[in-house]
Amino acid sequence: MPTENGATKVKDWRNYDRVLLPPIQDLHKLEVYENEYEGYEAIRSILGDSEQDPEAVTNEMKAANVRGRGGAGFNAGLKWSFMPEPDDRPRYLACNADESEPGTFKDRQLMEYNPHLLFEGILIANYAMQIDACYIYTRGEYVDWIMEMQRELDKLYDKGYLGENIFGSDFSTEIILHKGAGAYICGEETGMLESLEGKRGYPRTKPPFPAQNGLWGYPTTVNNVETLAHAVLVMRHGADWFSGIGAESHPGPTLYGISGHVERPGVYEYPTGMLITDLIDKVAGGVRGGKDLKAVVPGGASTPPLRADMIEGVTMDAESLTEAGSLMGTAGILVLDEDTDMVSWLRRVAHFFQHESCGQCTPCREGTGWIEQVLARMDEGKGRIRDLDLLLDLSNQIEGRALHRGRLHRRRRARPAGGSGGTGVSGRPIASFSRRMFSLLSAIRQTVMRKT
Amino acid sequence: MPEITVDGETITFENEEEPKLLQFCLDQGVELPHFCYHPALSIPANCRQCLVEVGTPARDRESGELERDEDGNVKINWMPELQTSCSISASDGMVVKTHRTSEKVRRGQKDNLEFLLANHPLDCPICDQAGHCPLQIQSYKYGPEGSRFEFRKIHKPKRVRLGPNVTLDAERCINCTRCTRFTEEISGSDQLTIIERGVRNYPLTAPGEEFDDPYSMNTIDICPVGALTSSDSRFQARAWEMSRTPSITTTNAKGSNCFYHVRDNLIMDVTPRPNDAVNKFWLADEDRLDYKRFNNDRPEGPQVRRKGTLQSASWEEVHEAAADLVREAGEKVLFLGSARATVEDNYLLKRLADAVDADAPRFIPHTEPGHGDGWLRTDDRTPNRQGVERLGFRPVDEKMLRSQLDAGEYAAIYVLEDDPVASGLFEAEDLKDVPIALHHYNTTNETLPVANAALPAATVVETVGTYVSEDGHAQRVRPAKEIKGTSRILTQAMGAARQDTHGTPFDKWHNDQNRVDCRPGWVSLPAVAEALDRDLSHEGPKQVMGEVAGNVDAFDGATYDAMGLAGVRLEAESDRATAA
Ligand SMILES: Cc1cc2nc3c(=O)[nH]c(=O)nc-3n(C[C@H](O)[C@H](O)[C@H](O)COP(=O)(O)O)c2cc1C
Ligand code: SF4
Ligand code: SF4
Ligand code: FES
Repeated sequence: MPTENGATKVKDWRNYDRVLLPPIQDLHKLEVYENEYEGYEAIRSILGDSEQDPEAVTNEMKAANVRGRGGAGFNAGLKWSFMPEPDDRPRYLACNADESEPGTFKDRQLMEYNPHLLFEGILIANYAMQIDACYIYTRGEYVDWIMEMQRELDKLYDKGYLGENIFGSDFSTEIILHKGAGAYICGEETGMLESLEGKRGYPRTKPPFPAQNGLWGYPTTVNNVETLAHAVLVMRHGADWFSGIGAESHPGPTLYGISGHVERPGVYEYPTGMLITDLIDKVAGGVRGGKDLKAVVPGGASTPPLRADMIEGVTMDAESLTEAGSLMGTAGILVLDEDTDMVSWLRRVAHFFQHESCGQCTPCREGTGWIEQVLARMDEGKGRIRDLDLLLDLSNQIEGRALHRGRLHRRRRARPAGGSGGTGVSGRPIASFSRRMFSLLSAIRQTVMRKT
Repeated sequence: MPEITVDGETITFENEEEPKLLQFCLDQGVELPHFCYHPALSIPANCRQCLVEVGTPARDRESGELERDEDGNVKINWMPELQTSCSISASDGMVVKTHRTSEKVRRGQKDNLEFLLANHPLDCPICDQAGHCPLQIQSYKYGPEGSRFEFRKIHKPKRVRLGPNVTLDAERCINCTRCTRFTEEISGSDQLTIIERGVRNYPLTAPGEEFDDPYSMNTIDICPVGALTSSDSRFQARAWEMSRTPSITTTNAKGSNCFYHVRDNLIMDVTPRPNDAVNKFWLADEDRLDYKRFNNDRPEGPQVRRKGTLQSASWEEVHEAAADLVREAGEKVLFLGSARATVEDNYLLKRLADAVDADAPRFIPHTEPGHGDGWLRTDDRTPNRQGVERLGFRPVDEKMLRSQLDAGEYAAIYVLEDDPVASGLFEAEDLKDVPIALHHYNTTNETLPVANAALPAATVVETVGTYVSEDGHAQRVRPAKEIKGTSRILTQAMGAARQDTHGTPFDKWHNDQNRVDCRPGWVSLPAVAEALDRDLSHEGPKQVMGEVAGNVDAFDGATYDAMGLAGVRLEAESDRATAA
């Protein structure tokens, strides 16, 4: 049941009306988006309303508490407010559509079925931060939707919704579609900026953060596709409506990408804060073939997996998942059934990280491959007892060199949510990548613990 | 003044520059292992070797006061993870623990080296870098004793021709990106990038491109391993077999500082010697590839023309022959000084010309318009044009000189360390009837076939002397290898100059092989003078230069002691003119 202001509480998820991916035929077309979805009304009314100055829009976003959907979960409005005052330099928005995290395929759905929601979100963000141009860095494999999106963008330029003096206002902005060449690390925000600049996608050291020193050295904000799409909803329905949906500390509608051993894998739109068990059993039709659950990876391959016995009562929001020892990540839920060979699975994940390590920093470059080789040996039945210690050691050698795991967990919890997936806390450069590696490592630990 | 504590020792520092911890510690003489950091390049902090523990004093949030424990000591907040010292700025009150005091740091360094060595080929026995390899040295000092890596190592190409001068062994690369950053940030050619990903990474040019940056070989020096090697000198000599002598290069007028590496009296390699006032850390490729002329085509002792042919002679005979031809020509001797010879030798030549009442020496300029790049290459292809100009020598006027020669105004030519025929000043034909005394470095000298007295000259690597660069930087050179015969001055200078960091019994530097029978100008010119009953005797080049510095305003202050290893910047001639 929607509450008074129209927001859906989590427990009423069955009555939830989809807003990101509503069941409207051909919504990806501009005409349909405008006629059947009130498309471009939000930005139109902002531009026509003198009260809605850029700061007011940013504040509305801040109040809505849209937590970044790219993985790090940082309040988008707050991030927008980090942009320095406009001066005569260019400033950019970089939309992260690189989506390469294993188990994550939700942005693709938005780009395929409701791309104008993203474009309108970008217009709102660009207005709020007084930005002249947005680059959408798309995963190159999404080539069909890239071409489709370009056709729709051309329509926007033709109609004056993009370019100079949008809707006759004095607001002008551009959207440029960019196709990535297929590297996971180019989804890390500073790696993405390097790649956009035409360079090798080596993540940068942070600080400075993109807001200070972003694309070509100019102030830049990086946001995920879904995060930007939410901006339209916030401006259309208000911050209260948004923050009233789903989990209190991590509100809003969200796209759950459920994959693995379930009956009905797919992308599902629901409020945040859903019980993992509901998502598996009720939304995705339960574990495939009625099997028992072995483990769940809640937020993409780089979030720590949870054993079946660890997910009782755990909900899909940062708070609950952190409590349980994992992370919200991208809400891409991977379900593993009782027959899953965890070592084999881990080997596959390790292979991914090894293959995708950009190789900039020593521990990740050398450690990921080594870990994969040890796992391969174990997977082939040639493991030795000492391999378990070795794996733990190598994991620790990559991840910050802490010597026991309890400490690591404590620290992760203590870390303030945010930093845009960054490395700000310690200034370690490629730590963002090794931080993702951390989940792999913790998966190793858990597997090791189970096997021993 | 702000202060920081390193391993219990408190050190104050200037805050303006916000020194990075690593550089700060190195400046303090605290060795911190590192690979990717280079003082002239940006800081990517990618090797992760320079780890330290860092703490900052705890301050009360409200009052901003330092928090203290019961004993009144300032409380320190330690950062939970080890920090890369290259990228972290020193701040007031910071407390740092290095491997000297922290087990955690030692462990971190060891772990990182284990990773670096996991896929490293351990080519040390055949690697040019062995002996002066940061990876090898640091592995011995800080690394693990063995390796737990029991898998097949990643194999990569072992002989990649990156360009004309640099060959890559990709397996040895530790991906520090110093080389790519050099082409991006220093030489500006942008020719190198890292290709592939992860553990397969190595640097390469874009397809179809060559690494033909005129400064490409600097990447060889800054490469912390033996991945980048000199196509010219790879596999020629082990680091510990060579001694090295600080000197300067002479292919152009920049006076770039270098080391000459010598084995068995042969120059094997030339590498840059840092000098902030001249070449920073760098050297142009042309400066390094210029050394073979010191080894090859060297004369086998003095020669005198007898019955029309050049024949071997003793040094006494050649001095007599040179003196004879000067004596017979009277004041009609054309003295040619040399922008390739030292200030001292040119000065002695001038005194010789004065002594026989001949015109002051002139010199042949060797310029190549367009060769200079405003950095370490100059249009001028000689090392000492400023030096001879400051002595008052004028460049030759080709046309006038030729007509004077035709008019019979010169009865003899005395050439100091140059080649008037090769430089196009004269045709060999024109010189048939003019007796010539020639101090020469190489048998390829094209004036040699028409010379009457040939006096082999010591090259820059065999002598003691002074050069003045295009920027007016006066610098001393020191002998790197021995010549035939003994000279107390050369032997002493050589001993004092050698920065032989190895100095092992393997060092074959001091032996009789490959010694060239030649003499510095400051030995042979006084000998010629003596045969003419003129006195040019001196106590050695140091005293000669002292005399120059004392008598010639343009050399004010250019004494050996003042020049030391870094040289002195002489006042510009134009400044002196305005001051006067
Ligand atoms: C290795 C790595 C890969 C990442 N890949 C993606 C990605 O594919 N898409 C994405 O939106 N964010 C990705 N991120 C997170 C981004 O760095 C960044 O936090 C995010 O785009 C910020 O947008 P948001 O605040 O809207 O979530 C990745 C981070 C890391 C460390
Ligand atoms: S680079 Fe250094 S450690 Fe590697 S093979 Fe050469 S000498 Fe040995
Ligand atoms: S070749 Fe040498 S300098 Fe270049 S990245 Fe590799 S180790 Fe560093
Ligand atoms: S020297 Fe600090 S990380 Fe390489």
